[in-house]
Amino acid sequence: MNKQVELKNKRVIASNHVKLGQKNQKGQTYTDINDIFYKAKQTPNFLTGSEVIRAAIKVASVGTSVAYPITPQSEAAALIGELYAEGYVDEYFRGESEFAVMGQCAGAAFGGHRVFTTTAGPGTLRAMENFPMWAGARLPIQVCVTCRGINSPLSIQPDTLEMYYLLETGMLIWHAETAQDLFDFILKGFIVAEQPDVHVPIAVCCDGFFVTHTKDTVDLPPDDLCLTPYDPYRNPQPVMDMETAPIRMMRDPFIMKSNYISYATHASWQQEVKAAVERSRKHTIPLLDGLIDEENTDREILIVGSGTAVSQAREAIRLLEEEGIKAGLVKIKTIRPFPYEEVRQATKNAKHIFVPEFNLAGWLAREIKANIPDNERVYVGPHVAGGMTMPSEVIVEEIKKHLGMEVATRGTLG
Amino acid sequence: MSHYEVKAGPEAFLPPAAASMGNVLPDPGEAHIGGKIVPEEEAYEKAARMVLGAKVPTIFPGPLVLWKWNDHVAEEAKAIRELALEAPMRIIPMADYRPKYPKINQEVEINPNHPNLTIWHNKIDVCIFFGVHCHMANLSLKMIRGGTNCYTIAMCAMAGDEDACLSFRDADLKMINKLKATIKKLKSEGVESQAEPFTQFVMGRSGTIVAPA
Amino acid sequence: MSKEKIVLCEDLADVMPPEYHELVESATFGNQDRGWKDIGSSKELIEQHSLCAGCPESIAFRYILASLPTPEDTVFVGSTGCTSLVFPHVAVHNIHSLFGNQNAVASGLKRTLKSRFPDVEKDVVVLAGDGATVDIGLDMTMQSWFRQEKFTTICFDNELYANTGGQESGLMQKGFVAKMAPKGKNFEKVRLAEIAREAGCAYVAVLTVSKPNRVEQAIKNAVLVAREVGPTFVQLYTPCILEIGKQSMEGLDEMKDAESIGGRFVQKEYITDEAQKLLDSIKEETKARKQAAKKPVNA
Repeated sequence: MNKQVELKNKRVIASNHVKLGQKNQKGQTYTDINDIFYKAKQTPNFLTGSEVIRAAIKVASVGTSVAYPITPQSEAAALIGELYAEGYVDEYFRGESEFAVMGQCAGAAFGGHRVFTTTAGPGTLRAMENFPMWAGARLPIQVCVTCRGINSPLSIQPDTLEMYYLLETGMLIWHAETAQDLFDFILKGFIVAEQPDVHVPIAVCCDGFFVTHTKDTVDLPPDDLCLTPYDPYRNPQPVMDMETAPIRMMRDPFIMKSNYISYATHASWQQEVKAAVERSRKHTIPLLDGLIDEENTDREILIVGSGTAVSQAREAIRLLEEEGIKAGLVKIKTIRPFPYEEVRQATKNAKHIFVPEFNLAGWLAREIKANIPDNERVYVGPHVAGGMTMPSEVIVEEIKKHLGMEVATRGTLG
Repeated sequence: MSHYEVKAGPEAFLPPAAASMGNVLPDPGEAHIGGKIVPEEEAYEKAARMVLGAKVPTIFPGPLVLWKWNDHVAEEAKAIRELALEAPMRIIPMADYRPKYPKINQEVEINPNHPNLTIWHNKIDVCIFFGVHCHMANLSLKMIRGGTNCYTIAMCAMAGDEDACLSFRDADLKMINKLKATIKKLKSEGVESQAEPFTQFVMGRSGTIVAPA
Repeated sequence: MSKEKIVLCEDLADVMPPEYHELVESATFGNQDRGWKDIGSSKELIEQHSLCAGCPESIAFRYILASLPTPEDTVFVGSTGCTSLVFPHVAVHNIHSLFGNQNAVASGLKRTLKSRFPDVEKDVVVLAGDGATVDIGLDMTMQSWFRQEKFTTICFDNELYANTGGQESGLMQKGFVAKMAPKGKNFEKVRLAEIAREAGCAYVAVLTVSKPNRVEQAIKNAVLVAREVGPTFVQLYTPCILEIGKQSMEGLDEMKDAESIGGRFVQKEYITDEAQKLLDSIKEETKARKQAAKKPVNA
């Protein structure tokens, strides 16, 4: 690293957008993201995750949103439709499948709109071909993924397996733990993804139902402020509107048909997309207050997680504490870019690292194991899937068992 | 803090993207030299010295400055021409990003899909990118670093290019003029241009009117 | 963008390759009466292509580009196939994203351009092969028609998958022996024009590209109706001479055979009343404008 990225004043991305301070047609004032979060008065609201998505999009100056029903994102997608009817979103319609929806989103982004959509589970997989296309085409579309089961037999319940499939698409992947995270990540996600040096799509993921369908207290800024609109000309590629140079331009050309060296172009292209994801760190660290959160990472027992597994882990740590066992916590907020260095530092004192996950693949544990020294310290689990909850007691039991401590037998009739 | 130094190549069959090696882009008012963040002032001096010290220094203007799609780019184009005259440097356009069949005329064009051909053919040892979309610039800069020994300077209108050996950010008319002024100042201090004598080619409607020499 | 903005910066123009000067000086951007007759006397918007020698698709491309009412405000959406080897060399912004999603991309694009430029008529034109339009993309093709998305869909129908080497497609004629149809295709050529009409297209045309004036009229009708009325569809027979075993000079004869009485591509049009009314009024206006231009100016 040639330069330390710091959290100085939480204000690195000062917007100099021409519309700053002006009002939109709904009377909302275009405001710098820093001012929205760190200057404006935040008021507590008691909302479901779906309502939180609506609240975020209401102030996000979104150009196009395309919807398609699939549990558990249907409600949020329909609520954005209400915003469209009220005039807060410029274009909105129902597509015919997730594959088509993501194509429609691509068209809107190629044309220069800020684009938001939502999907879940099987929808994510049906749309999958589009995601690396979005990234390769440098389209900063935001998709909110409300994770649910993907495999047969059908399940509409929470399961984060689909995130595993997203890891190498070239998108930014952020994982919200709570409704508050969801609100913050959606708005901050637009700003980071649209930086001209980043300019790749972003998946803001949350665990379906646990976050989307439960009510939580969320601090919201006043809704008469809104993000400055997307500036399509701050773009690493030409906008497809026939208003920019160069005149002869295909998005994106078949470079493999050029000549012998064009394979190098394709390889360099892939590298550039990965590089763009890496560049997002600089903008994300000040806005999200770091890519990870740490609590007591000087302890020998650590739980590392993302999404709602973090909430369950936090409660597990409280229960362990009651028994005199001290454990620390690392919450990973961005899965892509993966916080390699941060996780290495945060886990350097740990002797036992537990990674609870709401999927059976254990993708987060694999990421961690691949990136820290002495990775036999990582215990892959506990896991639940298919909509099972992960009681904090289960995390406690698994930790105690692994450490060779006595665990009360469960399920026996007393 | 160890860092990945972005040097002139030839570096590797497929060199890494500097951002993936941990290199971070400069903030406003800064630039980078070889991946090291420096005040912008320092970069003018270094860029000017590299240009003056080169045998075949060349500017590659891209579509954003070749096409007069708004008024301020016309002024930038004029400044680019003046910079080339002051140094002196050759000008070879990156007119397009399309993969041209069967290949470009490497004497008078550069293409992001095979920038090395132009650099090898003309023996270009220092180049400046201006007006090329960031994505295409980064592809080219990486390939140039991979296969040639050319020192690359990027005058990027946005956040800068880590894949260049030296990069400015927020480049505009003022910055082109400042680089020109720095070259002029160095020359007045006795730094002589090492550029081999050349004739800037001129294109006509049916091809080259004045051939490069 | 206005024609006036398609110019080079003076100070760097003399290093630009000739084809860009020609584009600025003698292309027909901004010419209200542009059409196929400009081919040969003005700069074409297609620079080069890597299609096979004699491929009817290449001439179809040239007629279409010459016939667009306002190329300076048109964006194309293509799909995977032979057409995507041509598009990088076309002087109109164009998008390739995936195979089959062209009408989905165009839907998002058209709405966005309408929203961003409410006072400018930005035309979106889809141009894809029959595999993309009918097989893998039929859902999205039809859904864009159901939704009445205001853009033009052009299908280059060569009755097979050409770029992958001649496999059976839905628009292939029954009985034709092809790769993946080793015993001959066993169902009829999909009646896409009728599907388009029933799915809500305001203007539908089926023809070959043997007669440039007809292609020009169909393209102009389709783009102008898409602006005002609703979705439009043009199906052009562009035989793949390579895969049907013809020589490079035999493409024209193949098209003429196919459009003669009883052939698969006898020219036909389906026009809604609303679209017809619009086309009639455009015809009247053009006539009046041309007559006015002929009149000597009174001193």
